[in-house]
This record gives sequence, C-alpha cells and structure tokens, in this order.
Amino acid sequence: MPIKSYLAHPHDGKKEQLLQDLSIIQECEVLPAENRDILILVTDTKDDHSEVELEKKLKTIKSLKLLAMVSGFNSKQN
Amino acid sequence: MKKRLGIISFFVLILAGFIINWNYSYQKGLEEAYIPLIENPSGNYLSSERGVFRQATFEFNYSDMPVDPAHERTIKDYYKNRAYLGAPPSIPHPLLKGERGVGGTSCLQCHQNGGFVEKFKAYAPVTPHPEMVNCRQCHVAQNSTSLFKQVSVERINPPGVGKGANNALLGSPPMIPHGLQMRENCIACHAGPGAVKELRVSHPERINCRQCHLPKEMTGIPLDTTKILRQFDKLNE
Amino acid sequence: MYTSLTNRREFIKKMAKLSAMAAAASMFPGIIFAEEQEAGIPADAKLDWKKGPCRFCGVGCGILVGTENGKAVAVKGDPKCEVNKGLLCVKGYHQTMCVQARDRLTHALVKKNGRYVKTPIDEALDLVASKMKETIEKHGKDSVAMYTSGQSTIPEGYVASKLMKGAIGTNNLECNARLCMASAVAGFLTTFGTDEPMGCYEDIDHADYFVTWGNNMAEMHPVLFSRMLEQKSTRGAKIIDFATRTSRSSGASDRSILFEPQTDLAVANAICYEIINNNWMNKSFVEKHCNFSKGLTNMGYGTEDKYKFSDKPEKVDFEAYKEFLKDYTPEKVAKYSKVSVKDIKYLAAIYGDPNKKVVSYWCMGVNQHTRGTWMNNLIYNMHLLTGKISQPGNGPFSLTGQPSACGTAREVGTFTHKLPKGVVMNEKHRRLAAKIWKVPYENIPSKPTYHTTEMFRAVDRGDIKFIWTQVTNPLVSLPKTSRYRPGMQKDSCFVVVSDVFPTPTSDVADVILPASWHIEKGGIYGNSERRTQYWDQMVEAPGEATPDAWMTIEIAKRMGFGELFPYTRENHVDEIYNEYRQFHEGVKHGMAPLDVLKKESGVIWPYVDGKSTQWRFNATYDPACDNGEDFHFYGKPDGRAIIWLRPFEPAAESPDDEYPFWLNTGRVVEHWHTGSMTRRIPVLHQAMPAAYVEFHPDDAKKLGVRNGEKIKVSSRRGSCILPASINERGLPTRGQVFVPFFDENMLINDVTLDAFCPISKEPDFKKCAVKVEKA
Repeated sequence: MPIKSYLAHPHDGKKEQLLQDLSIIQECEVLPAENRDILILVTDTKDDHSEVELEKKLKTIKSLKLLAMVSGFNSKQN
Repeated sequence: MKKRLGIISFFVLILAGFIINWNYSYQKGLEEAYIPLIENPSGNYLSSERGVFRQATFEFNYSDMPVDPAHERTIKDYYKNRAYLGAPPSIPHPLLKGERGVGGTSCLQCHQNGGFVEKFKAYAPVTPHPEMVNCRQCHVAQNSTSLFKQVSVERINPPGVGKGANNALLGSPPMIPHGLQMRENCIACHAGPGAVKELRVSHPERINCRQCHLPKEMTGIPLDTTKILRQFDKLNE
Repeated sequence: MYTSLTNRREFIKKMAKLSAMAAAASMFPGIIFAEEQEAGIPADAKLDWKKGPCRFCGVGCGILVGTENGKAVAVKGDPKCEVNKGLLCVKGYHQTMCVQARDRLTHALVKKNGRYVKTPIDEALDLVASKMKETIEKHGKDSVAMYTSGQSTIPEGYVASKLMKGAIGTNNLECNARLCMASAVAGFLTTFGTDEPMGCYEDIDHADYFVTWGNNMAEMHPVLFSRMLEQKSTRGAKIIDFATRTSRSSGASDRSILFEPQTDLAVANAICYEIINNNWMNKSFVEKHCNFSKGLTNMGYGTEDKYKFSDKPEKVDFEAYKEFLKDYTPEKVAKYSKVSVKDIKYLAAIYGDPNKKVVSYWCMGVNQHTRGTWMNNLIYNMHLLTGKISQPGNGPFSLTGQPSACGTAREVGTFTHKLPKGVVMNEKHRRLAAKIWKVPYENIPSKPTYHTTEMFRAVDRGDIKFIWTQVTNPLVSLPKTSRYRPGMQKDSCFVVVSDVFPTPTSDVADVILPASWHIEKGGIYGNSERRTQYWDQMVEAPGEATPDAWMTIEIAKRMGFGELFPYTRENHVDEIYNEYRQFHEGVKHGMAPLDVLKKESGVIWPYVDGKSTQWRFNATYDPACDNGEDFHFYGKPDGRAIIWLRPFEPAAESPDDEYPFWLNTGRVVEHWHTGSMTRRIPVLHQAMPAAYVEFHPDDAKKLGVRNGEKIKVSSRRGSCILPASINERGLPTRGQVFVPFFDENMLINDVTLDAFCPISKEPDFKKCAVKVEKA
C-alpha cells in the first residue's frame, strides 16, 4: 500500500493544465499552491506493481517539468 | 620526602578541587534558589497557565504516532469509568505495581507519555498533570462490580462532541466545554493514540491552543450583563 | 478541521501531504496552499464570503466574512493571506458578534439638560458643525481639536487631516497611536530617517533566533507567535523571551530572561559592549553604512504642563562610542538589572554569532517607556553593529498594536506634526499637501501644537474648547485618567464622541454620533509590515449609524468647505484613496493602485513596477537603493544609519517606602484594548470577565493576600480596586504588580502616571509606583 508525496513543477504557464492532467488520474490527489508555480501530489496505490505503473503514467504527462519525491510510506493494510 | 610531598600535594589538589566544586555548585544553587510558590486556588476564575506547553516538545511526533482503530478508545469508553462529568476516572485495570506503587515508579511509567501496553492490548491515556504523583488519591481501582445498597445517581448529559457542537459562530473554533483545572495541558488528552477517538484534534502541531479555543463558561465571577451593557434607552425621552 | 482522524490511510496521506508542504515551504518561503484551511463550514450553508483585514491588532490577518441574508454569520482566516495563511486568534474568529450587542449606538444622542435625547443624525451634525464654527470664531482655530485613532481607516484619517490642517488650518489633530507607536516612529526617524520596519513577517520563516523585548506575543500577536512556534518545531528556531513578567510567551519560549523594569536600556548597551569587546562587530558594514551620534541626556519626563524638549544630535566617532560603552560591562549592568552576567553574554552571543539569523521583536514594552525612543535606537544599534538588518531572517522588527497604526496614523499622518507626506515644519511638505488638497499654502500652520497628553491637559486647562474623538476611548486608555476625566467633564469644552458602542468617553460627551462598525463600511488599513489592505462594505449598519469618514465630510460641508471634499457617499473610500496615493508616488513609498488592492489580500509598499518591496534598504530587494552598495539607508542624506549613544536613566517614578511596588499594565488575548468591542462578545467576556491584579507569590505571601481577594491599588494619582490573581495568567517579578487595562469597571489608568518620552511624547504605562492593600 504505497503512499508517496511529491512536489510537481509544471512547465511555464502549464500549471492549470498539469492540475487537470493529474486530477483525472484516480490514484492521485493534487494540491496546487496559491501563489507559486508548484503543486503537491499525493499518490495512493494498492500495491508495488500498480505503483510502478502509475510512475510510468506520470512520466508521460507533457505539462510536467519535474517531479521531486518528498516522502514515501508503505504500510500494511489494517 | 618526595613521596610525602606527592601525597600532600595530592590531598591539596583534592581539597582545592573540592573547594572549587563546592563553590561552583553553591553559586549554581544561588542562581536557581528561587522556587515559585503555588497559592491555594481559592476564588480562581482564570485558568492557570501551568503546564500549558508541557507536551509541546512532542508536537511533531504526533504526526508519527500510529492511528490504530483496533485499539482506540471511544467517547463511550471514556464516560464508562467516570462517575459524573469531570470526575476523576477510576482505574479500569489491575494495578501493575501492586497496592503500594506510587506515581513516578508505577502509574506514570505508562501514563506520562503514553504508548501501547501489550498486557492490556491498549494505549495508555496520557495524564495532563504528571506533577501530581499521588495518583490514587483520586483515581481508585474497581475491585468489585457489586453494590452495597442500590443507589440512584442522576447523570448530567455530557457536552456535545464534533462539528458545530461547541462553537459560537458558524465554523468558528469550538469553545472548551469543560473546566481547565488540572487539565491545562490540552494536548495530553486531545492527541495521540491513547486519546479518545472523537476528541482528537486534527492539528496537534499548533500548540498555542488557547489562541483560538477559550473555556466556554467561567466559574467564580458570574456574568452580570448590566455591568457591560450601558442602558442609554432608559435615558431617552 | 474538527473531525478527528480515524482512518489510518487518510492519516498517512495527510502526513505525506504535510511533509510535501514543509518541503515546498523551505524552497519557497511564503508559499500558500489553500485547501487545508477550507473545511469546517457545513457544506449546505450558502454563504457569501468577502475578504478584509481583521478589525483588531496590528498583525493584520486576512479574514473572510460569511454573510447570509445581510447578516454576518461566520468568520474564517483568509487562506490566501500571506500574514496568517488561514489562521486567526479567538478575537478574530468571533469579531462580528459584537455588532449584535443590545446597547449598540444606532442614533445620534444630544445631551439636553443632563439627559441624552435621540436626535436625527442630520440635526446632530448641524449642531456639531455650528458649534465648531462658533468656537473657532470666538476663540481662534487652535481652540478646536480632533482626536482620532490607529484604528481609523486610511480614508478616515485622510479626511480628518485635510479638514483640520488644510481647511480649518490648525495642527490640533492627534490620535491614540501616540500612546502606542510614537516611540517606534521616533526611533525609526532618528536612526534611519524614514518610518516603518525594513523587513516583513517572512523573516519568521528564515530566522534562527527570535528575541522578544518586553513583548508577550503569545497573547498580543498570537498569529505571529504561532508562526514562530511552527518554525521552532520544524526548523529548531529558538525563542528568547526578555521581559519583566513571566507570561504565556515565556512558557512557550526556549529561554525566559527577566529584568528589573527600566534596565533594558543598560542590558542593550551591555550587549553592544560584548559585541565590540568580542570582535563580533561587522566592521565593513559599520564603516560603510553607519555614523555615530549622541544626543542630550537628563531630559526629564514631561510630567509638568507645557513641557518642551528638542534633542541636539552631535556626531561622534567610534572611539567615543567605545568609551561610552565602558559603563556597560555585563558585570556592572548585572548588578542593577538583575540579569545575570551569563544571560547578558548569552544574549550578546546570539546577536554576535555571524552564522545565526536574528529577529528582534518588540511592541509596548519598549515603546511605552519614558526613554522609548532611546530603547528603539538601542535595539537598532545591536543589529547595525552586527550588520544583521534588512535581510531575510535578520532584522529588528517593531510590531504595531493597532490595525492601522502604520497605514493611517503614521502614513496618512494624523499626528500634530505630520502631513500625509512629511512634517508640517518642512515648507516643501506643506507645499505638496496644499497642492494636492487644493488649499492656499498659507493655510497649513508650520508649528505643531499639542501631542496627546498635552492635548488633554489643554482640555483640562480650558485652552481647548471643542474636541471630537473618533474610533477611540481615551477615558479608559489615557494615562492618569483621574485628571483627564474631570477635565473632559468641564463645561469649558464641548465634547463630541463618535463610536459604535457607549463607553466611559461617550459618558462625558455633549453629542454622541453613531458610527458604522468595521464591515458595515468600506475601508483600508495598513498593518505592521507595510501591508495595505482593502475591504468593501459587507453588511448594512443599523439605524442611522454612519461611516466615520462620511461624518467628517458632512461636517466639512456644513462648515463651508464642500468644494474641498467632492466625494460621493457610495464611493468615497476609492475616491479618497486615489487622491491620497499621489502623496506617496515614487520608489520609496509607492502605494499599490486600487484594482490591485481589491484583488489581493494585501500589498506591501513600496509597490514598484507591480512588485512589493519586502526588504527595504537592501539593494537586492529594494529598487530605491541607488548608492551602488549592498545596502543604502536612503532615509538619511548621506545614506548612513545612525548608531546612537543612549545611556541608562532611571524611570520617572520608582518604588519607594510609601509606594513600594512597580505597576505594569497591559493586555490579555481575549480583549482588544479598552474592551468596548470584545467585552460585548459573549465568548470572550465569559472567558475573561474582569480585570485583576497579578502578584508574585512571595509578595502575596508577605502581604497575606489570597487569590480572588479584593485589593486596592493606589498611587499618588488615584486608586482602583481589583481581585488578586496569583500564579494564574502571568507572574510578575517580585516587587511588581500587573493589571490589564481592558476593564472599564476597574479603571487602572486612574492610577498610572502621565510621564512620557521627551522625544516621542509617548507615555509610559508600564512603570509607576503604587501601594497595595486589602480593600
């Protein structure tokens, strides 16, 4: 059950676009900053395999310039 | 001769060391000699600030503390071992250190900072007043479930819990629906795995609680509105 | 916000989100995420949210007020506001509840034969205007006065200044900010030549040490204190509380250091001595950017009527400064300050460490001081000697008490000597004001008249025959009200009081004008960090309650100055601001245009090319720096700040055999100043129903005083009876008692002394001698 959080940097002027692109992915939760071009992304996947799949998917998003991981948790279900 | 000199200088050294040490600790003692006295709380109407920030050093550890639904206390459990609203809870478990265990060496082992106790399969609730070590002056064990004679005790309804139960304005921070004496340290009961599920705050990291939350009712001086409302209307013609 | 976290996954997700936010905040200080603050309001409530600044303190939090059917029903912190990021204090959350008080002033009241008679507002305004005109004709321009507030909005202060100085032609305009910020202003002007802090609140996100000088921020600036606590727990920043009373702030600080009242002057000099003695001085900074000066000493305390003083600064060299500091070795100072040598060295080491960023905070402890200007200078000395100034996380920061003490009192200039730009003594400044106001230049008199204390003395003497107070409650907040209350009651002076609620001041009024409260009018405030904040009217005022600015305009029209005040009732806030903005054009003080103010939660001036200037005097951030160096203190003609030689001098009145205790007065988190608003908010009143007198337990024991017992506190001026409080909210040092001044039923200012700082004319509410006995 991996949960990870990232700082997502959009390409210039693509913040809104990135917000949309990320929001439609089910495993993603996005929180845009009000006054800077940066978003917080929290991903929540059911196992390591789907985590890898998701990461692949994130890499294809065009509006995304850089994704920096901040923290990761891998907890057992309880 | 040399040997004797050596022995004498050895003792002189020890003596000098002792004098320096003694002086230092004496000076130290002078610096901290002042101990504030705590007056009898007669006629109190302001809650004391004592121990408000005591648990504050842990504030961020709260984010690392586990949330463990299997071993949570609920508000129902909370009132179960209290005779009435605000009564000291009774001890719902056998005494680990026996009848003669006192404070720091017994109860506080678990109840000062909390934590999971394997034996009871539960998290120990944290006491808001760990400086009061004669725990069983107020908290007694329940050694029997029987009654001597039947009694009828009236129970007052506890204050509401949750969204909108205690706030003055829509969405404003809830007021404190209970007295604060011996409960000045909010975080002790309102955060961590030992806290009652319904009473946990979402923001234990904000430690200056009374910046936003104030006691709902103050005892002592009753509210006299004529004192603050000026009656101009009476003077109008 | 109030639901508990029960689901483990949600909890972990929240933690993941929080750590990402913390990471983002370390990369981009001041970054704001809105969503976390939005919860707490039921989803079905259909509220209309409007932004504005909080009504109360100088922190200037952004609030959102939720209205439903024309009534304000909810308040929350504005998550988009960089000041508070969605957090408020208990006063802020409940502020709108005061307007529902049953004794709200909704109609004008005119005193006839000793009774207040409900009067249509037009009639009352006619009476006020004719009375003012008549008094001027009979006794001259300087027989009328206006006393306003650091809580007046920018338009309110502006029209008051225009009416008094431009139209009527008298400098009899003062405001209650004289009682709270005058020493800060004098400190800025003497050291830097230009008013208001160089840094901003973002310093909190960068500093390693916060040193608070006589300042209980946990109660008085709670939102900033919470920001500091956050830095303490996330980055390990340290808070050092330097005070004469153990308060809630001391409890939350890393270290609490107590000193004997008035000796802060000596301790500050001792810190400077240590900085130089240990070679911690930033030599190149001092050589490039600083001068040394000394001024007059033994100035007196202004307790006598018509006291006059003007300083004579004299330039000296560094050697003279070193020589001066020889009287302030930690060993010598420790003897009378009761601060240990170790603690003085500890403080000096914090300022002296070149690798640590330090912010000093102070408010009333330093300002309400008979040597308040000196004390401000001395704090600047420490920062100038070490070059720790005007950089993110490094700098002295003078906090304000009132929401627009900066915006209105200081920037618009509602003091006797001030104009919206500059001072009345300066011909260039008078000419600019005359040009923008469209009045003859000769109209504006070149001499200041009465500062606040002297103004109320003049009322008492009978020199002022007409006084109009707005947005303030002087008969609770002035020092030595035991003299000024009977003074205002005299028939020789016609008293007009504009207020929202009846107060002890309106009790002595001849005419009471009903004012609109905060959100019942539009307005503009300016907070401690030079942030200008605009709001629109959100709800209708009850009855005939009218915005203060509009009442001033109506009076001006009735006095025949209509063409100078061509504003419309609906739009006067915008129209006045646009006119006022012309005064501050340029890179040093440019103010943001209206459309920006309306959009943003608040904007810091100087606003240059669409950008706020967060750190003034630093060439990296401030486009006004033009000397080619890293720093430029352009307030002074040679671009250098001044390090002042300011000695220790005793207080105006110290404890003696007859009056053996120091009396300190102050505030509590629940109440705003004189309590006329917050005491009408049930949750606040119930939490703090009455004032009290705090004792040190040793003193209480010696006197046999128990908690709650009635105690009579008396001085040479008057007395006051209050319940004793031992070890509750605060703990004064031995030989000191503390009383909060919010309670109009227990007027502690009958006891205080009206001694003031000779340079700033700000009274000292923190030190006088009293005796205490069981009542």
